[in-house]
Amino acid sequence: MDINYQIPRSALIWVLVSVVIVLIPQTIRMPIWVTVIAAICILWRLLISQGKLNYPGRKIRIVVVLFTLIFSISQIRSIGIGLDSAVSLLALGFVFKLIEMRYKRDIYVVLSLCFVMSMVSFLYSQGIVTSAYIAMTVIIILCAMIACNRSSLILEAESTVKLAMKITFQALPLTIVLFMLFPRIAPLWAVPTQNNASGTGVSDEMSPGDISQLVRTSGLAFRVQFEEEVSLPNELLYWRGLVLDDYDGETWRRSRSRSAYGNAAAFGNFRFNWEGRMETNGIPLRYNVIMEPTQQPWIYGLHLAEPISSGIFLSRNFEMFNNGLISQRLSYDVASYIENQTDLFLTSSPRRNNIEIPAQGNERSLQFARELRAAVDTDREYALAVLNYFATNQYFYTLNPGLLGENRIDDFLFNTMEGFCEHYASAFAYLMRAVDIPARVVVGYQGAEYNPFENYMMVYQYNAHAWNEVWLEGEGWVRFDPTGAVSPTRIELGAEAALRDDPAFLDDFLFTAMRLGGMGWINTLRLRFDALEYEWNRRVVNYNEEVQFELLEELIGDVTESKAVLFLLIATALVMLGVGVAVIRVDRSAQRDPVVNLYVSIGKELEKIDLPRKRGEGPLHYRDRVIAERPELAEIMSELTELYVQLSYRSRTVDNLQRNQTRQLKAMLNQLRFKLSPLAKISGKV
Amino acid sequence: MIEDLPGMGKTTLSYALAKALNLKYNRIQFTSDLLPADILGISIFDQKTNEFNFHPGPIFSQLVLADEINRTTPKTQSALLEAMEERQVTVEGETRGLPEPFFAIATQNPFSLAGTYPLPESQLDRFLMRLRLGYPDQRAERELLEMNTEMDRVEGIKQRLTTEDVNEFRRQSAEVIASDSLLDYVQRLINFTRGKNEFHFGLSPRGSLSIMRAAKTWALMCGRNHVVPEDVQTILPAVVEHRLRASTDEDGHTGASLVQRLLNEVDVIK
Repeated sequence: MDINYQIPRSALIWVLVSVVIVLIPQTIRMPIWVTVIAAICILWRLLISQGKLNYPGRKIRIVVVLFTLIFSISQIRSIGIGLDSAVSLLALGFVFKLIEMRYKRDIYVVLSLCFVMSMVSFLYSQGIVTSAYIAMTVIIILCAMIACNRSSLILEAESTVKLAMKITFQALPLTIVLFMLFPRIAPLWAVPTQNNASGTGVSDEMSPGDISQLVRTSGLAFRVQFEEEVSLPNELLYWRGLVLDDYDGETWRRSRSRSAYGNAAAFGNFRFNWEGRMETNGIPLRYNVIMEPTQQPWIYGLHLAEPISSGIFLSRNFEMFNNGLISQRLSYDVASYIENQTDLFLTSSPRRNNIEIPAQGNERSLQFARELRAAVDTDREYALAVLNYFATNQYFYTLNPGLLGENRIDDFLFNTMEGFCEHYASAFAYLMRAVDIPARVVVGYQGAEYNPFENYMMVYQYNAHAWNEVWLEGEGWVRFDPTGAVSPTRIELGAEAALRDDPAFLDDFLFTAMRLGGMGWINTLRLRFDALEYEWNRRVVNYNEEVQFELLEELIGDVTESKAVLFLLIATALVMLGVGVAVIRVDRSAQRDPVVNLYVSIGKELEKIDLPRKRGEGPLHYRDRVIAERPELAEIMSELTELYVQLSYRSRTVDNLQRNQTRQLKAMLNQLRFKLSPLAKISGKV
Repeated sequence: MIEDLPGMGKTTLSYALAKALNLKYNRIQFTSDLLPADILGISIFDQKTNEFNFHPGPIFSQLVLADEINRTTPKTQSALLEAMEERQVTVEGETRGLPEPFFAIATQNPFSLAGTYPLPESQLDRFLMRLRLGYPDQRAERELLEMNTEMDRVEGIKQRLTTEDVNEFRRQSAEVIASDSLLDYVQRLINFTRGKNEFHFGLSPRGSLSIMRAAKTWALMCGRNHVVPEDVQTILPAVVEHRLRASTDEDGHTGASLVQRLLNEVDVIK
């Protein structure tokens, strides 16, 4: 066999390392035994290279093919045709190729597959950690490619890695240009998203226990950045999600069917004349929200939010809906009129909807409500009286409330007296409706964590909350939060503070729990990392066709196809030229030793007084010429030259003395600079 | 090799050198009918002892002046040149070493006269240096004119160095340090001559070795134990001129301008 086709040992190690690195992120998604098979194949290939095992024979290979076939069929049966099954199949084929890897060309196949496999991670996540990991993967695969093509005499991994990094960095500017300018063509086929992904976040139904379940998770819901710097107190940070106005005695629902959510525009005659239902005389608060995917169409905003981004619609109850399920991170701009109220007049149909309660049950609560209403003059006073009732009696705010019986409201109000926000919101709305005051439940998030590093807010799932809106004559819909009456800490300081001592809160997240314990530097680190991720999402992941078009418009005026292509070509050419020049220049100065570099800068210094070093001029001649022209530099030039000659020509090894002398030479260069600065000015004037 | 017009003192110079170093000196006048045996020596049958006795030729001395070397035939030229390169002479199957130290100085007239055999490049390459004396300066000429005969002065030269001194200097010059930076420079110089159209051919490894030898010796003469680029530049014209030819060259004297290009265009430090 021709030696040129053999696989060098060092290259093989690199290839196997790349394979391992590429497979690691996939191991969490693949069935465990795929990982085991991968490990076996890698080990097998390693043993082949040591001569302890042989390449698989025909029989084994047939078995492997059959096995893979059966495997993929079973995968498709159990989890359907989806990303996960495709990834497992790809991984299997990929690792089986390893034990067939005999010649160099097989290595190239494997390495190309490595690139494909590494890109698979992007289908799942485009976060900054994934991206950094893939960048590292690419460098390692490059190392493998380099090792393959290097003479086997060069074995040091260090030089291979250095070269690979160099290549990567050289490619970076072009990557950026292509990322920014290359037309974003829609894929020919859609990648099926994970079919087992379930919706997260606030749901459009609320039964007791729903939100307290959500609060136990630590996931991020969305990040918010205000256009101007405002410091809103926590009491104002009510991120409205959905308005639930249909109560059946157990569950609060949105009074419209869920089936229509897929198409928000069709969903609810959205473009209604909402301006007529409110006064917008306040100054709107503008902000941008980047929301994590929820697989649901509704999005969140502060009080009385008006969407600015296209593709977002407002409903009758001033909820906001995205046109389509949110399966990727969504960024949208909103303006909120936090000083204004809606629906100063309530027509009969919504009024009817918002005072409906089940005809039977909860007699005691009804009785209680009527008595309390009779004791006060206005609806507002009644609402405040109910809040006061919650505050003054022994109600508890807890994640683990007792179970409720048939008459839920009665049971909660007079028996268990402990509950989470949904209990209080539910009871409060019931008590309002009991005396014909229109009231409804609003679900969303309350509070936020402020990140000072990038000046934005983070809202987590544990910020999930439910509160009420009560319609008062002359005031419109007014927000009431019974939870605040029970546990003011929840509203003022947030869920973390209110629930810190509740063992059920985030008990399975050690890290999260730790930051609540107040370990300063960990928290800082976490905030910094989140800030980084926020920036990444905002600038990189959200860089879509629209943003690209805006950028192009800014750069070249109105965008035509040919103009854009020309611009792309020019930018590409310029970048490649730049990189080429940089590569040549950097290479040269990297090869030169520091002493020579210092001497070259001496020549450059003297160039300022029109005495540049000539190409073919030795140091002594140069010294003599400079001294002849500028006798005042005689001393320093002689010393400089003496040092340089000593360093460059007197010995062949580098020792401490030389290092000292190099430092001395550097000092002399600075001295020369100092001396020359007035001289240069004079000659410049002349 | 000394090359200059007739009457410029080529012979006198080499004679003076021999006197100053106290070397055994022989002068061979190269003519077109000179045979190798005239230089190397010949074995003559001795009738008394009934055997051949070797009579060493003029080459067996420490300093040989080969006058007007380009007037003789290539066959004879190469006999001298073998001796120069190998420091030994092979006559009739027997190899005889030459005395130490051994210098060969050749002179040649620059004009291509009728009946001359210009030395081929291969043989020119064997000379360490090619010098030109040029006209003497005013003061020297004056002194010259004040003398009765030029030989008076030469006869008066006293021995300055012993053979041991010369050997010691040679040993020391081998110990002169040539640093990496300097070797880089020399390599840049050599590479500049190679693979370029205007150079008919590049410098040979022998040429580059000669540069180093000459540069080290020059450094030693300047009292340094290390070579600086100036040393190389000083000796470069003498050492390299006769080894270079421009591709447009007709008579072998374009080396000088090429060396100037080398000196000006090859960067000393990078």
